[in-house]
Amino acid sequence: MNGVFILGLAILIIGAVSVTFARPKTYLARLINLEIPGWGLLLIMLAYDEGLALLTFVAVTAIATFVIVRVMEWRDAA
Amino acid sequence: MIPEYSLGLFAAFATAAVAFYALVRETDDLHRLLLTDLVEIVTLAFIALVGTDLAEALILPGLVVGISELIALSEIYRVKEGHIHPPRKGLRIEVMDSAPLIMAAILVGYGIVLSGFPGGAIAGVGVIFYFICRGQHERFELIETASGYSWVLWIVAFFTFMLFPQYWFCAVMLAGGAILVKVMAKMSLIGAMRGGPNA
Repeated sequence: MNGVFILGLAILIIGAVSVTFARPKTYLARLINLEIPGWGLLLIMLAYDEGLALLTFVAVTAIATFVIVRVMEWRDAA
Repeated sequence: MIPEYSLGLFAAFATAAVAFYALVRETDDLHRLLLTDLVEIVTLAFIALVGTDLAEALILPGLVVGISELIALSEIYRVKEGHIHPPRKGLRIEVMDSAPLIMAAILVGYGIVLSGFPGGAIAGVGVIFYFICRGQHERFELIETASGYSWVLWIVAFFTFMLFPQYWFCAVMLAGGAILVKVMAKMSLIGAMRGGPNA
């Protein structure tokens, strides 16, 4: 059992709680908090040497952020 | 000493419980969309805990399905809420006017040198960057047609490998170029997401 794995689990739990009980409860605060559990998952993947999954997750997270920001932009324009 | 897998499973169940609790309590649709992303992350942790090549093979399609689901749900949300007017250009950054051409040229050039799937990805990033900064007025049917023909070339290269193995170098070049165009065309569609005449 290594440190990276334990750290990943801890950050995953902290991140899930911080997204659920985000203060202030705005879209942007939640979106930024979403990065925390993402980091936890990345550390868990790193602990098990899942390199390809890790890189794909990074790319997909970037696109997901882009999609959500776009929806928020359209929402503000209305 | 608690085994590693059990500890991880316990943590993953705890986070999944928290995420689903938040999803049940939430009433705002856009908040729900964000929480769907959270649920995706914590449930991927279950698969990642398996820690073998199988886990990796299961995470990749999961991520692809997740992102397509997110794009589809965001479009449904947008139409449902009646947000049909594209956002005004509020932010003017000078570097977004001057940089795209040279950055896109460098990225596309390097992508063509790399060729194949990674080359297509790099060239695609260049095209996305250009479209996002400059806006796009291209006819996307044309790009899609090029993508379709390059797919055919890829299949032709595949058959060349099977039937005429002595021409393997030609087939490698054909497949490398074709997949480059294919991936680049598909990725360039992302650059059109800000809305435009053809998006």
